[in-house]
Amino acid sequence: MSTIDASTPTAVAPAAEPVDNYLTYTRGFLSWALTLDHKRIGVMYMFSVLLSFLVGGIFALLVRTELLTPGPTIPGVDANLYNQFFTLHGAIMVFLVIIPSIPAALGNFVLPVMLGAKDVAFPRLNLGSYYLWIIGAICAVASLLYGGFDTGWTFYTPYSTTTSTGGVIPVVIGVFILGFSSIFTGINFVVTIHKLRPPGMTWFRMPLFLWALYATALIQVLATPVLGITLLMLIVERVAQIGLFDPAMGGDPVLFQHFFWFYSHPAVYIMILPAMGIISEIISVHAHRHIFGYRFIAFSSVAIAIFSFLVWGHHMFTSGQSPLMNTLFSAITFSVAIPSAIKVFNWLATLYKGSISLNTPMLYGLGFIFLFTIGGLTGLHLGTLNTDIHLHDTYFVVAHFHYVMMGSALIAMIGGLHHWWPKMSGRMYNESHGAIGFWLVFIGFNVTFFTQFMLGSHGMPRRYYDYQPEFQSYHVISTIGSYIMALGFFWTAYYLIASLVSGRKAPSNPWGGRSLEWQCTSPPPHDNFKTTPSVGDCYDFSVVHWDEAEGGYVVDRDADPETRSAH
Amino acid sequence: MMHLLSKIAVTAPSLLAQTEAPAAESRELTGTFWLPEAASTSAEATDFAFMAITWLSYVFFVGIVIALVYFVLKYRQRGNQVVYQADAPLHNTPLEVGWTVLPLLLVVAIFFMGFKGFLDLSTPPRNAYEINVTAYQWGWSFKYPNGATSSHLVVPAAQPVKLVMRSSDVLHSLYIPDFRVKKDVVPGRYSYLWFQCDEPTGIVPEDEMATTATGHHLFCTEYCGTDHSNMNRKVFVLAEADFEQWEEEQARWLDKVSDEELYSFAGPRIYSKCANCHSIDGSANTGPSWGNPTSGSLAGLGEIWKRTVEGSTPVTGGTKGRPGTTLADYIGSGKLYETPEDYIRASIYNPGEILVGGFGPNMPHFRGQLGDRAIDAVIGMMKNLDQFDAAGKFVGTGG
Ligand code: HEC
Ligand SMILES: [Cu+2]
Ligand SMILES: [Cu+2]
Repeated sequence: MSTIDASTPTAVAPAAEPVDNYLTYTRGFLSWALTLDHKRIGVMYMFSVLLSFLVGGIFALLVRTELLTPGPTIPGVDANLYNQFFTLHGAIMVFLVIIPSIPAALGNFVLPVMLGAKDVAFPRLNLGSYYLWIIGAICAVASLLYGGFDTGWTFYTPYSTTTSTGGVIPVVIGVFILGFSSIFTGINFVVTIHKLRPPGMTWFRMPLFLWALYATALIQVLATPVLGITLLMLIVERVAQIGLFDPAMGGDPVLFQHFFWFYSHPAVYIMILPAMGIISEIISVHAHRHIFGYRFIAFSSVAIAIFSFLVWGHHMFTSGQSPLMNTLFSAITFSVAIPSAIKVFNWLATLYKGSISLNTPMLYGLGFIFLFTIGGLTGLHLGTLNTDIHLHDTYFVVAHFHYVMMGSALIAMIGGLHHWWPKMSGRMYNESHGAIGFWLVFIGFNVTFFTQFMLGSHGMPRRYYDYQPEFQSYHVISTIGSYIMALGFFWTAYYLIASLVSGRKAPSNPWGGRSLEWQCTSPPPHDNFKTTPSVGDCYDFSVVHWDEAEGGYVVDRDADPETRSAH
Repeated sequence: MMHLLSKIAVTAPSLLAQTEAPAAESRELTGTFWLPEAASTSAEATDFAFMAITWLSYVFFVGIVIALVYFVLKYRQRGNQVVYQADAPLHNTPLEVGWTVLPLLLVVAIFFMGFKGFLDLSTPPRNAYEINVTAYQWGWSFKYPNGATSSHLVVPAAQPVKLVMRSSDVLHSLYIPDFRVKKDVVPGRYSYLWFQCDEPTGIVPEDEMATTATGHHLFCTEYCGTDHSNMNRKVFVLAEADFEQWEEEQARWLDKVSDEELYSFAGPRIYSKCANCHSIDGSANTGPSWGNPTSGSLAGLGEIWKRTVEGSTPVTGGTKGRPGTTLADYIGSGKLYETPEDYIRASIYNPGEILVGGFGPNMPHFRGQLGDRAIDAVIGMMKNLDQFDAAGKFVGTGG
């Protein structure tokens, strides 16, 4: 039996599992290692990213444990080792986990299916980016064999060009290569969205996740090369002793910061924009309610992408940059707050008069709104000039960016993983297990990071091995929170893996979604759709019904004025 | 005031040599839930902005969470069947324009609040009292107009103070939380920071400064390597007359020490600047231990010849151009250093010239900070290391 023709309603539940799904289509190691199937590449990315998340997380736990007491805590961990821990934690989480997590892992899997396409525009380039990621990751691991690196993930010069740890060059090469992986993914997505949209899917009928991926891809393509050249310059300075950033050789260390943040601020949006896209999907699908203010959300993605290039200097208010520049950067920074606020209000309005299922993905979606609101509002303290002077490089900043990068970007990615898990794996996980996992992570997260706001506003600087005794109680609470969070993540790993073994088989449409990925079977067949599916309004839930026999939702396409005419 | 003066008086040699190094006093966070006690004239504006934004955040946050919880409870779908409401609005232009414009107005207001405060922070008054600051891995050296130096910051009260800062190695950043001021210290550039603190804090004897609860914290907030978190120092604020007295005494104390007490009293006091990196009991640290039994102790400068030297250092010295492997190749008549004392002195003024084997170029130079008498005191201490305990305290020949 072949797949269900996507253009006919899935009125009849398939009794037997279709033989042809992307997981069983071909077998053997090489069929994965050399696959051009975007879904398999997405799954491989997902696996690699989650593995890196485990490693980065272990370093985070080491950091938190070391901070239980001022001075040495873990036997054998001295300041130098601690400095390597937080550096590795940051570098792994940023470059190996968060940046690729949503676009490369989830995006790769979902984007072509949402478009009703068979694959991305350049499948070979896609596999190429994955292998570049692997090579970049290997370089990062190799740096450990060369003595590790203790520069902080920001690689600020002249410390990074003079430190005696030997792993700086390998890891910088690694990040350089990871940059290319990111650029290639970006190019692929831009072209795919331009060229492979099905008939009927105009720009303003695209699911918002695609808008978000599109805006993200533009940043990836435009900003990442700057990081590449900056890192090359760093290597040249370190190896050839040509003075670019080191004043001892006639260079300028502040120039490095400009270059670095010219990439790394937009990179924050490489992390958060696709996360916002996922949340738009999760909120509207699980509230079974047309997304509110579609155009405002779509435009705000693009607006954020553009503004993101103009605000890098807000990381440098204390660097000695001229007061005029500081003023301009502060002013533009506030302009990014507006599109972000718009999105939050739109998501809230989407809940109004919805039909809300509190599934695990929805819990993560609502959790995101909660955490992102805190992350965004505390951004105001940091964008304001005089308060940033006080808060810069303290734990307040650490707390703020964890609320945004972890509490928002990573939570959205975990939410997305749950949302599309039935599609990717063909299995349902246990819902109540999912809820337990969410609450552990959510509570643990807030305990860990909210305390850090108070630490920072009271003056505790970041990247400190040793600290003043009066900060200890907050540090202890924070560390306990990190253990709760770790428990939540291990629990989540447990029930997701368990679902592969004993989970109920997933229906095509377990949540009642309307975008195209819910029209093919779970897991999707090798080439997604036999014929190009016809496109309705992907946020019109009036025609979505629960079907007991199917154990999932069906879309009554004959009741839908749009698809009926398309027949 | 009397109390303060008596604290200063403690710095008299005989007294200081006898005071026990105190255990760290236990300390609590000061100030409110959000902010430490404000102690500078500009802090008020910063705190006002901070609290205004915080209150605004409370309002938005609580509003958003209430709406979220209310909608979820009200429109919760029981069971699987979708309860579709056809009249749910798809968009609402006045509402959407409203929630775009309102935040816009609010952030413009916040921006101006921050901007005003920042202009004040970045314009030091003309009559400010200037102190030169050098940041190094890993410490601070504060140098006063009359030549006094100090590793903790002591400033006059009720007078604007301007720090003129430079770094002798990598980036650092000087941060005084209670003053709400911070500025990066960038190698190859001067940067300024100013503040005015009206409340005197008092001061404690030098060996208690690191651990006392008196004074304000001063931190390094730009990551700078191994001991980044140990660059914390104290800020002591003294009323004008006390400050002048302190500055005078700080500039002259070494001259007042008698020759007999030079190494026993002045030695440890100078050694406190070196103790971060050099132990005297042989234990390893960032720099070579002065009492290193395996590679040659500096005690008495007798075994100093055994010290190995990094082969790759760009020194033409050695015995007439031949690169050396141990110090014996460098010290002696006709060699780079005539005597061991010359070598010690050069190591302090010009640490990169010759590197002790196994150590990196991490020692800051002390040119302009340690004069001849100070060097004499250090060398005297090295020659009599057996009269000091592991913490560098003079215990005499009997101990
Ligand atoms: C930041 C760490 C640091 C501080 C502070 C420091 N040193 Fe050093 N010192 C080193 C290192 C590292 C070396 C070895 C490399 C070299 O020879 O420059 C060294 C070498 C020396 C040497 C050559 C010694 C030998 O054992 O052969 C002398 C003498 C010396 N230091 C004296 C001092 C004195 C005196 C002070 C305080 C006034 C001081 N140092 C402060 C790090 C430091
Ligand atoms: Cu930024
Ligand atoms: Cu530092």
